[in-house]
Amino acid sequence: MNLPEIIKNSEAYVAERFPVEKMSYSAMVVKKEVPVHRLSWAYYMGGLALFFFGVQMVTGLLLLFYYQPTVSDAHASVEFITDHVPGGSLVRNMHAWASSMMIAAVMVHLLTAFAMKAFAKPREITWVTGVVLLGITFGLGFTGYLLPWHQVAVNATKIGLQSVQEVGQYLPGAMAEWPRIVKETIQGEAAVGQATLSRFFALHVIILPLAMMATLGLHLLSVQLHGMSRGIDGPPKRQEKFFPTFFIKDLTVWGFAFIILFVIALCVPFESLYSYPLFEPFNPKGSTPDGIKPEWYFYFLYYPLELLPFWVILVGSTVLGAVLMGTPWIFQNTSRKTLQILTVLAALYLFVMTVFGEQIYHMFKG
Amino acid sequence: MVDAFFFVGLPYLAIVICVAGCIWRSRYDQFSMSARSSQFLEDGKLLFGSLPWHVGIITILLGHLVVAVVPRVWSSLMVIPAVLFGVEALGVCCSLLAIAGLSALIVRRITDARVQAVTTTMDLVVVVLLMAQIVIGLLSSITFRYGAAWSAGTVVPYFWGILTLQPEMAHVTGFPMLFKLHIIGAWVLIALVPFTRLMHVLAVPLGYIFRAPQLVLWNNPRRRREAVDATARAESRRDFIKGAVGIAGASGLLALGVSEKVVTYFKGPDPDPEAESALLQKKLERLQQTAEERQLELERQRVEMILVARYIELDAAKGKYFIDYAMAPGLAFKGKNGLPLLISAKCTHLGCTVGSQVNAEGQIMCPCHVSYFNIVTGQPNPGAPAKLPLPHLAWALVDPSGNVVASGLPGGEVEGTPSPELLAQCSLYITKPRHSA
Amino acid sequence: MNSRAALLIVLAAASVPHRAIAYPEFQAFVAKSSGRTVNCAMCHANSDGPEGTGPGQIGHLNAAELERLGRARSALQPGQAVESPILNAFGNHIIKSIGKEKFVELKVSPAHLADLLPPDSDLDHDGIPDVREYLDGTLPINHNDGNPLLLFRHNFRTNLVAIALTLAATVCGVWGLGHLLHGFATASRIKDTED
Repeated sequence: MNLPEIIKNSEAYVAERFPVEKMSYSAMVVKKEVPVHRLSWAYYMGGLALFFFGVQMVTGLLLLFYYQPTVSDAHASVEFITDHVPGGSLVRNMHAWASSMMIAAVMVHLLTAFAMKAFAKPREITWVTGVVLLGITFGLGFTGYLLPWHQVAVNATKIGLQSVQEVGQYLPGAMAEWPRIVKETIQGEAAVGQATLSRFFALHVIILPLAMMATLGLHLLSVQLHGMSRGIDGPPKRQEKFFPTFFIKDLTVWGFAFIILFVIALCVPFESLYSYPLFEPFNPKGSTPDGIKPEWYFYFLYYPLELLPFWVILVGSTVLGAVLMGTPWIFQNTSRKTLQILTVLAALYLFVMTVFGEQIYHMFKG
Repeated sequence: MVDAFFFVGLPYLAIVICVAGCIWRSRYDQFSMSARSSQFLEDGKLLFGSLPWHVGIITILLGHLVVAVVPRVWSSLMVIPAVLFGVEALGVCCSLLAIAGLSALIVRRITDARVQAVTTTMDLVVVVLLMAQIVIGLLSSITFRYGAAWSAGTVVPYFWGILTLQPEMAHVTGFPMLFKLHIIGAWVLIALVPFTRLMHVLAVPLGYIFRAPQLVLWNNPRRRREAVDATARAESRRDFIKGAVGIAGASGLLALGVSEKVVTYFKGPDPDPEAESALLQKKLERLQQTAEERQLELERQRVEMILVARYIELDAAKGKYFIDYAMAPGLAFKGKNGLPLLISAKCTHLGCTVGSQVNAEGQIMCPCHVSYFNIVTGQPNPGAPAKLPLPHLAWALVDPSGNVVASGLPGGEVEGTPSPELLAQCSLYITKPRHSA
Repeated sequence: MNSRAALLIVLAAASVPHRAIAYPEFQAFVAKSSGRTVNCAMCHANSDGPEGTGPGQIGHLNAAELERLGRARSALQPGQAVESPILNAFGNHIIKSIGKEKFVELKVSPAHLADLLPPDSDLDHDGIPDVREYLDGTLPINHNDGNPLLLFRHNFRTNLVAIALTLAATVCGVWGLGHLLHGFATASRIKDTED
């Protein structure tokens, strides 16, 4: 292949993924239709994740008025928000609960999109941006966990970052040092401290949200350009208009989600799920309290990490990441039936590890 | 005498006329019990007059009704300043809306020939009276403010006095002229109900809100084609109205419940001096803690030896925490030979701080992933998540006069053997690790 | 700094015979019965217990506070309003309710503390009595800490009006927005057919 041909081919490739003739209000909104079938509920998951992202933006901006990202003041300012600022505890709990709900929605969205083969040509870009969004969401969860600067936050972050360094032992020669350098670059100094807090704050509040919005724009654009994927093998029962029928249903789902979030955030403080010593300010001179754990959405990775040798997890997660990124090409000829079986297996694994992870851990470790 | 006529005689006259007239009209002239629709004759300007007028006037009348029926509940709500302001503002907005709508209706009635053709004298009388009544009401509510609060104790007892046949006009005779006019106007309008289109308030078409729109059209092929369009248009108009009502309701509720909270959120708390000083105290302590850590860091950069503890404070079973030269935690024990035993407390697995209590096997435990380390060898137990041993640290014992009497290196080499008596007076230091070139 | 260190050493030496003043039996019992991680902050002012130089520890007290500490330690009988600087509100509440003497006796059966404390007292007003929080291993003086289900029940009841109003606003808003969008779609369809 010579150069002009390569250019021509890639032009055709991009043109197929971003058809300019469809970039109009009439094609993207008025004419778009949504298939109705037994898996239609899955079409609401992405919208739900978007809604929770909106909630996170609003509550996060509100928290920004009081939060102080310094080692000496972070914990006190978070306490100030919960105990003294009028409505502060509601805002903070909404932020904490909505983050969990957003991640749950994102996970279900990924699984259903996989089962419905929503990544098939020409929707590769949608899938890949979706996987990037998943990574950013987890990144937001990880960086946000440190900000209150309490025992569980700092210690969980330490453990998370230390596992980056652990990779070094499997690398040859001078490369063995690289993971440690990466870790120290992320945390900004030899130990988790003020530099780490500043960096995580910047990541959590500015960099990751901006990256999220940019990727989200691309994701939503390609969703609207190509329409909803058909999702099932046979013909759908019928089609319904995206605007206004489906969109109104979407709004209704958002309304439900809001009420559930509001009631839970108002009535169940997020901290009540953990032991109280974990929420004391981080004390670098004392011993680490029992029960340091990451947030529930990392359990699927955390408990296997506790049980199996590190290299198994390392290889496993690398393969998983590569497969997720390459899904549109790896599974392009797989039938929906096989994909659905794979999805059920993955969902089962996630469910079991998240809910029963601790029991499994104790079963093997005594 | 004049007051007695207007505030006792007129009310009973109006009530008798209204009740008797309404009964008469509903029995003998049933089909006239409506506001004769003129939508058929002129459909454009009607929406912009009728809708604001009805939204405004219904809200205001509902307010009047609620205060009359449940004055106690109403008064208890009006005690809250935010609610009182809200209600007063809503009242003023709604009267302005009603005035605007009514003006549009008057203009339409005067300028449109087809509408004029079906206009009766009574219609004009009613419209002028309504306009006067609502303007007076607005003026009096602006001139004598917070009527929403004080009316419950004055006008309401007067109203109930009339209804229970124990009229007590003293409640209202002291009022300013403007407000008296408003009350008189109300009675006049009540008296007029049976003779005018006002009668339609007794036949509220609630079904209109829920049933599908109906259109009245000339029956010919062209009109029938247009009817499809017209139905769609009517439907969309109804949707817009419902949407506006829903959003107005939601934003009203939000304004009632959230606006104040948003303001107080940004304004911040208003702590009493005691809470504020407690807060400041806490912040100061945290700052001091941070400062101490910084100081430790600096000390470790500059000083060759750092005090850990006095020798007598050491214990064989419970370690004493300190911060080593790498700013990581360390533990100091009394070893079997009576000399200090210093070991890093930073778990070699993932860097948690290892516990200080020594168990029966001479091990300390890391709580994060349960590794047991032998304090003498530093080695983790077989099968522990940690693979590497905890390193030992270099130390020195200094007697009260400042001489180093014994020192130990990480490898276990010890120099000097002080007597137990001397040991008891010594202090334990860690020494700066020499960088191997 | 130096005088602080000297004080610490004096106090550390002086406090050796008093080691028994911290009561780890209760902590061990609560941790075991509730399955939650528990530390000294349940009853003490400092989460590392009363010994040391940190805030709320013995090495940090000034003269007036030391005097209060002495008074609190001699409150052997119940009913005395104690304000020990090394205890938190719950710790003081225990001493006030059952007296220091009874409390020391309970060391052998920490579970009985729950029977002796006043059953209705709720220091943090979170709807869960202190006794229940003691057994659950949650902090009796933090209204954000407690059994999540019990907290939900209590907070749901107290916030019923707010929840009802929010529900009404959401229903209203979604209903209105839905109709608005519907109307908008119909209007633009009409416009299209006219064009």
